[in-house]
Amino acid sequence: MWKKLLAAGMAAAMLMSVTGCGNDQEISHSGVTDTNPNKGLEVIGDNVTYDPNHLINDGEPVTLDWWLWDAADVFGKFAEAYEEIHPNVTINIINNPWDGFWTKLPLALQKGEKGPTLFNVHNSYQHLLLTYMAPYDIATEDLEADFFTAKSHEIDGKIYYTDYGIMTGAIYYNTDMWEAAGLTDADIPKTWDEFREVAKKLTIREDGKLVQAGFNYNGDYQVFMLGIPYQYGTTTFEKDMKTVNFTTEGMLKTAQMLQDFYDVDQVGDKDFGSDAAQSFGQGQSAMVYKWGNYKGTLETNYPDINYGTFEVPAVDGDPFAYDRYNGESTPGINKNASPEQLEVAQDFIRFYMANKDLQKELCMYYNLFPANNALRDDADIMGNPAVAAVAEHIENYIWPGAMPSTLEDNLKIAGQDIMYNHKDIEETLQNAQDIVNVDLANIDFTSSENLYYKYDK
Amino acid sequence: MFKKKRPLQSKSEIVLRNIVVTFLVVYMGIFLIVPIIMAFLGSFHLWNPLNGTYEFLGLDNYIRMFQYPTFWTAMVNTLIFCAVVVLFRVLLGLGLAYAITSKMTKHKTFFRTVFYMPTVTPLVAVAFVWKIMYNPQFGLIDQVFGLDINWLYSSSLALPAVMVMTIWKDFGYAVILFMSGLLSVPSDYYEASHIDGANAWQTFRSITLPLLKPTMIFVVITSIISYLQAYVPVMVMTKGGPGTSTYLSSYLVYDQAFVKYNFGYASAIAFFILILTAVLTVISFKVTGEKA
Repeated sequence: MWKKLLAAGMAAAMLMSVTGCGNDQEISHSGVTDTNPNKGLEVIGDNVTYDPNHLINDGEPVTLDWWLWDAADVFGKFAEAYEEIHPNVTINIINNPWDGFWTKLPLALQKGEKGPTLFNVHNSYQHLLLTYMAPYDIATEDLEADFFTAKSHEIDGKIYYTDYGIMTGAIYYNTDMWEAAGLTDADIPKTWDEFREVAKKLTIREDGKLVQAGFNYNGDYQVFMLGIPYQYGTTTFEKDMKTVNFTTEGMLKTAQMLQDFYDVDQVGDKDFGSDAAQSFGQGQSAMVYKWGNYKGTLETNYPDINYGTFEVPAVDGDPFAYDRYNGESTPGINKNASPEQLEVAQDFIRFYMANKDLQKELCMYYNLFPANNALRDDADIMGNPAVAAVAEHIENYIWPGAMPSTLEDNLKIAGQDIMYNHKDIEETLQNAQDIVNVDLANIDFTSSENLYYKYDK
Repeated sequence: MFKKKRPLQSKSEIVLRNIVVTFLVVYMGIFLIVPIIMAFLGSFHLWNPLNGTYEFLGLDNYIRMFQYPTFWTAMVNTLIFCAVVVLFRVLLGLGLAYAITSKMTKHKTFFRTVFYMPTVTPLVAVAFVWKIMYNPQFGLIDQVFGLDINWLYSSSLALPAVMVMTIWKDFGYAVILFMSGLLSVPSDYYEASHIDGANAWQTFRSITLPLLKPTMIFVVITSIISYLQAYVPVMVMTKGGPGTSTYLSSYLVYDQAFVKYNFGYASAIAFFILILTAVLTVISFKVTGEKA
């Protein structure tokens, strides 16, 4: 008999190990009961305001999880500041690696209350997350009054997340090489023609072999192609805002210009390393086109490189748009969280959106132009070269929407086909366009290009 | 060949058998059968489990698969990759195993260890090291041979470069298997052939090769199955590029499922690979004269 029992027990144990069964642990709240609604604190914010003088969840302890993939210390300051105001609230910061985050997060949100109440959002994954998100319980007009990009995040009159800062491309140049080539601040190019001449001066060849690239865009083809064509007045998306056109005049001319940098001007080479960022960091390339986060890369990985930045040159003095931008997003709220957690989450988001000091820290950390209008002229932020380079014409940058990754992926493939496999530009871009449009047909995505203020002009 | 079956002796043996069989059946059911059925059904749907999309499409995913140029690029690349790597794995494995087991070779353990070392090294680590070795600016290969070739960004050289790395990584496994096959050949046969006056080539062709047939079949079949599923070297070294020059079918499945979240489409490709693997396995058995 005991053998049968032993066998049954072992079988059950094995089954449990296979299926991962087990009782869920009870959530323990580390917060204390809060009985003081009048905290004597000031109301913060301009249009989106936060009045801390109230009890949340009737002062009873409540715990919620906040998933993010980076900068737990910086985001943690929001949680700490909020917990200080509301000691009954515990916000657990759970930092997951980027790799796998966008698989784990939707699966966790499918578990409803057991998923995280708050989670950081990257807008390129909006199509995976929106179905699980609750709209912000803040008047849309207030959000749009404070955050200049909020309008582009409006979905059926509601906002589920918006940008706390925006990032775009700029030209990073090595100041030592610039000086050695006899260039001064007066030589900073405003047009692509001027840029090409400067790049030639910065190029060094020894015995015919390239030893210093004037301009290196290896690995960045797709980023360049998704922004610079706007300068010609053409858009990435057709008027339906759902299908792309990669064979516009802007696309073809930009692709040709990229090819001419290497083939005609010979200011770089496709085989001069595969990564422009690395090449610049190692002092092999004089200029690269990079987004704001590159400042952090340089400070962390290549602290000895002396560099400056300037705005991307334009085809003429008044381009349709200088470039594309993308936003770094405010957190999303799990709509299936418990009512107590939802109450706290909505209150926390209001605190987040009204807190300019902590938003400023985030923008400084990620080298972002602040989306909050009140921070636009902040001297500390404008002292950042990555931000300063784009500040003057920031209104003339366009956001095409939370683009699915298929655009960038397929333009990268097209770029490699053109650069390394010597394929015809128009034919290759046409192929990429066909593939992307098939992919987009299966994704619920609508571009925001038509929200750009010059779109109808 | 096998001893006559012996009935189970005791209750404890029966209990142990039942436990083991139950565990295996449950394990295979949960981790193999159910996912295969889900993937098969999913291949007829627009399927994204991350946002709950599951819409019936009929055969659209399969039609789209055959119309997608990258699919054919990936299939051709996979067949070339598979054929070349399996061929070199077998040739190198057999040649080196034969050399190591030769009576003239000393320090057999040393060579066996050296040749097997790449096999036990993690594939991702090996792929990263080879990626650095192929770098045109500071890579070992260009520097040693005085070349100026961008191996992994050349449409004609990138796939061969990945193949060379894979062959280097995997031939040791074949060496060990062929060595065990060679050592199990009875020495009487060699002595008889020697008495009959057979030269080394005749002995190898008429005695060694036929007796190594089971090992050969095992190496070839497991290699085919393994290389039809290869995607790690491509993911680490080329990401399928330049362009789609090094796309392999399994990398395409990975790309569609875990980058673009087209799980239905990825499942359709995966099923095609499954059928292709089965067909190639049957062909291998037929060619070598064994029953599948």
